[in-house]
Amino acid sequence: MVDMEQTAHGMMRRTFVFGTAGCLVLFGMGGLAYMGSTEVCRPPGGQDDDHFTSLCIHCEKCREICPNSAIGTAHIEDGLLNVRTPKMAYSYGWCDFCEEANAGVPLCESACPTTALLLPEDARPETVIIGKAVINRSWCLGWQLMGCRICVDACPYQAIELDGDKRPMVKEDLCNGCGACENVCVSMENGSVNGEESGRAIVVEPLESA
Amino acid sequence: MRRMKVRNLRALVATFVVLAVAIGYVTVTGLGNVCAAGVGLVSSICPVGALSALLASKTLIPRTLVALAVVAVLILIFGRAFCAWICPIPLVQRWLPDHRRRAQELEVETKSVIETVSRSTSEDTDADARTGGKRIEDEKGSCASCGEGTTCTAGAKMKLDSRHLILGGTLLSAAVFGFPVFCLVCPIGLTFATLLLVMRLFAFGETTWTLLVFPVILILELVVFRTWCRRICPLGALMSLIAGASKTFRPHIDDERCLVTSKGSLCRICAKACPEGIDVRHPDLSRHGVNECSKCLECVDACPVHAISLPPVPSRK
Ligand code: SF4
Ligand code: SF4
Ligand code: SF4
Ligand code: SF4
Ligand code: SF4
Ligand code: SF4
Repeated sequence: MVDMEQTAHGMMRRTFVFGTAGCLVLFGMGGLAYMGSTEVCRPPGGQDDDHFTSLCIHCEKCREICPNSAIGTAHIEDGLLNVRTPKMAYSYGWCDFCEEANAGVPLCESACPTTALLLPEDARPETVIIGKAVINRSWCLGWQLMGCRICVDACPYQAIELDGDKRPMVKEDLCNGCGACENVCVSMENGSVNGEESGRAIVVEPLESA
Repeated sequence: MRRMKVRNLRALVATFVVLAVAIGYVTVTGLGNVCAAGVGLVSSICPVGALSALLASKTLIPRTLVALAVVAVLILIFGRAFCAWICPIPLVQRWLPDHRRRAQELEVETKSVIETVSRSTSEDTDADARTGGKRIEDEKGSCASCGEGTTCTAGAKMKLDSRHLILGGTLLSAAVFGFPVFCLVCPIGLTFATLLLVMRLFAFGETTWTLLVFPVILILELVVFRTWCRRICPLGALMSLIAGASKTFRPHIDDERCLVTSKGSLCRICAKACPEGIDVRHPDLSRHGVNECSKCLECVDACPVHAISLPPVPSRK
């Protein structure tokens, strides 16, 4: 039983000040967080931004369970609202929809305790678009005519093709953002094409918010 | 001496939890951190996070509700034991200057009580002034005689404080802004996040401003406000509310042994030892109700005659 009378007396000023200040900070943050939020690539099921943000409690479950280590963590640079939420980290691994480890049933989605990651019943890799691969032509070995087709061979969806001059082109309608191409891209390791690369030549970028 | 042992044992258990999470971080077991600990697809869930998520999304999610119910049952059985045995915050606080100062204070207080007791004076004015001005008048009788006729069942009484207000703010802000706002600054989450960032820094050389910002927020929360657990933590508040209905593992005094009931002394050692401000001997004089008990066993260790135990089921007199 809660002794309300006792409580009213016991709630001294300091208690009240602490409590109210704490609540105000929380409400301040709630508002602030809307400011610097950028789109990031989410694991399968995290594509509906509002749904995802309302439910993710930053528990790291999805990141840890991914058999391919394809999930990383978003940082302050990705916006306040995204801090500590899962973000695809293709340089460490790519998403095969858990084909190998779990017969095509995404473990991250099954493990999420709040269904922040939620896929429709009939979800297939081809229909869950995590992002789209984009080639930086001045960093890409193929585009600098140094003969590279590593991403082309890596793509499980045949979404990259070589054009007549053996330069890789992404076929946007086939790419689902699995990141296999980014994962294998060697533009960084292979010495630089022009010495100013800050990333891989092919990267998966989040879809513009619809 | 023995008291140090329990304190160290708790630190050991909490350290083990941190290690387990760290191991989980580098394997694919999906252990999760304490926000949702478990193995593989099964996991418990932080009740504050779960309630925030349910309110923010305004949907009833079966798997979240099930996890929440399991956690509620655990809290019903073990009360706030999480606070003393699992939460990394007291572990972090051990290294903060304020905590050491408080430990010293406690020692001084305890000494003064022992002095008071050994002088066997019939007045305990100092201690009374600190516990709301009530006098322990007639110490010779049973427990029922303390504090002007109220009985010891008063120990079931809950007292609300700033933590409960902040819990309200936590849930309300989640509902209003549509995402779990508190999770952004939860020091428990930040501790594990910092651990993860440090690990990723060494493993992959991943650098980010977050690596600086998280510790700063943590230090702000734990050093500047210092009294996180006592005044702010909404998780502790929520657990104390649920534990109000708990009957298990409550501190119980063997009246035949206790110096107060058997010898009429003014012993207040257990009250002074309790980090949660519970006076097990005189629950009605207590700053907090037994629902705040974190099962830390400090009182058990402190009692000079080993009169206190935490029985799994309440013993009938
Ligand atoms: S579906 Fe599987 S491989 Fe893809 S991100 Fe989720 S856990 Fe990783
Ligand atoms: S498992 Fe779900 S709640 Fe946990 S971090 Fe991943 S998306 Fe967020
Ligand atoms: S182009 Fe890259 S991201 Fe797109 S489907 Fe192919 S490998 Fe995956
Ligand atoms: S009050 Fe909160 S921060 Fe303190 S030990 Fe309990 S859960 Fe952890
Ligand atoms: S009553 Fe005893 S076990 Fe409970 S919190 Fe206080 S000292 Fe710890
Ligand atoms: S239970 Fe032990 S410590 Fe507490 S008042 Fe009695 S003798 Fe003193």
